[in-house]
Amino acid sequence: MPWYLHLALRQLFPTGRWFPFFTVISTLGVGLGVTLLVIVMGVMGGFSYEIRHMIVDTEGEVQVKARGWISDYPDVVKRVESVPGVAAATPYAVDHVMIKFGDKAEYPMLRGIDLDSVERVIPLDKYVRAGSLADLDDDSIILSQQLAAGLGAGVGDTIEVYSPLIIDKLGADEVFLPRQVRVVGILEIGHQQLDSSTVYGTLRLSQDLYGLGSTVHGLNVRLAPGVNEDDAAARINAILPKDIRAFSWQDSFSEFLWVLNLERNMIFFLLLFIVIVAAFSVMSSLLISVVRKTREIGLLGALGGKPVHVAACFCAQGLLIGVLGTAAGLAAGFTGLAFRNNVVLLITRITQREEVMRRYYQFSELPSHISGATVALIVVMTIVISTLAGLLPAWKAARLRPVEALRSE
Amino acid sequence: MNDPVLSARGLKKSFPSGDAVLEVLRGVDLDVSAGESVSIRGESGSGKSTLLNLLAGLDSPDSGTVAWDGSPDTGPGRRAAYLGMVFQSFYLVPELDALGNVLLARRILGGLDKSSRPRARELLGQVGLADRAHHLPSQLSGGERQRVALARSLMNGPRLIVADEPTGNLDERTGNGVVELLLGLCSSANAALILVTHNAAHAAKARRSLVLHAGVLGGG
Repeated sequence: MPWYLHLALRQLFPTGRWFPFFTVISTLGVGLGVTLLVIVMGVMGGFSYEIRHMIVDTEGEVQVKARGWISDYPDVVKRVESVPGVAAATPYAVDHVMIKFGDKAEYPMLRGIDLDSVERVIPLDKYVRAGSLADLDDDSIILSQQLAAGLGAGVGDTIEVYSPLIIDKLGADEVFLPRQVRVVGILEIGHQQLDSSTVYGTLRLSQDLYGLGSTVHGLNVRLAPGVNEDDAAARINAILPKDIRAFSWQDSFSEFLWVLNLERNMIFFLLLFIVIVAAFSVMSSLLISVVRKTREIGLLGALGGKPVHVAACFCAQGLLIGVLGTAAGLAAGFTGLAFRNNVVLLITRITQREEVMRRYYQFSELPSHISGATVALIVVMTIVISTLAGLLPAWKAARLRPVEALRSE
Repeated sequence: MNDPVLSARGLKKSFPSGDAVLEVLRGVDLDVSAGESVSIRGESGSGKSTLLNLLAGLDSPDSGTVAWDGSPDTGPGRRAAYLGMVFQSFYLVPELDALGNVLLARRILGGLDKSSRPRARELLGQVGLADRAHHLPSQLSGGERQRVALARSLMNGPRLIVADEPTGNLDERTGNGVVELLLGLCSSANAALILVTHNAAHAAKARRSLVLHAGVLGGG
């Protein structure tokens, strides 16, 4: 091992000292920054991952949309399903409705689904918490959980659905009565927005309510595993007429995904300042060390140590603190992520806000997902910043002339 | 005739002192042959340490030359192998034990090999510290620290040892012991020695005794 690395290690871990104060405090500072980065980026990534997962689960990897309506949708479905990489496609019609139960009213989106094909694209059955998807027919609906709770409706209740067509009919002095439908299921997707504002009905029911006739608004497309969404969308577009276009889910939700990424990047940037502050503390400690060890630095020069190696000795201390702090921070961060839900549960129990948490949070549990690339970015940035923190002390040490350093008091 | 281990010619060195210039060395000539011991005495401020720094390649003269074995290369790379240094204040690395401090000289030279540790232990044995190899400097007395520094200066088998007031921080009895040890070790290693000291008795033990006065070296 080169002498400057050996000496850097010895200065960080002097012989016979189990608790080298400077090393422990500096490592803790860097480690805390990394811990926070891992936990916050993990939870942010979890939100992002869950949202992406839910979009793909409830919309398919590719959406086919027309400028207006798709009239001959069975043919379009057939053509889309013939494209290599497409596993299945299902039509949908979606728009706002008003639903009323007793004296309570809500304004959710009613999504009309094709019962014959929907399960091959959207795994709705796994989200049904009460009742059954099999009971859904043209005179019934499935309510999302928070919507049902808000209305006070349950499986077996009958509710009224008011279509936007009522307004058109009123303009023509016609009367369009609300539709009486039974609730045959309660569904929980796990996303606050979807769980508070979505109703599922048959394609026929929504076509009737929106006056679509036999047309639909679009198709949800499920791809075979491993197929690239953009490539598949391009292949589908090649066989569709110009007024019907296929979009990958990333394209369909590009603005939303951009906002998610922006939030994530901003949080990363802000939290990185914790590591930078810790690095300043490392720098300040190393600068003090250079002043304190001026004569030793002179000795190293007198013994034949080159200035660049003297600099490397102090730079290496910054690097080692960075590596140790990163390792400690990763361990603490992943432990924190593993127990995140226990911590949240404890806090909500103590504050008696479990229901509030469920109502206002996007998810019933705190999600977590951190990619290898994010971990690598945290590791590289932290180690680079810590090493840079050692540069100024290293430069000062390298500039000391042995003859002057040895004379210093 | 072989080149002297150290050859200095016309060394001049001055330092600014307020508006004036203080001429410390005014043309020093010195040759030291292999295995020779030379002592340099002088009053405080006479420039002994300045001269030693020039001879050791730690500082550059205003004019004049220093050559080791006929070569003007006195840079850090060569210094590690050619020269051993002993200081008044010992200058041991506090984080390293006695053995680590002795080995540091070899590490700086280029790294340890199989023979490094046995050699360092042997040197510690020669300075009477075989049983203190794993003691930190803070656990050693002043005399013991200086003996570790002596062992360190000999670790790379240098041709020349320069010792700047090695007994300055020691009591008389310990100081005598250290000088005896230094002379003995240099003699057995066939290393030349330049000993800067205030102590006339210590200076007299060297084969040649010089005095630095008014910036010029003269016979003692």
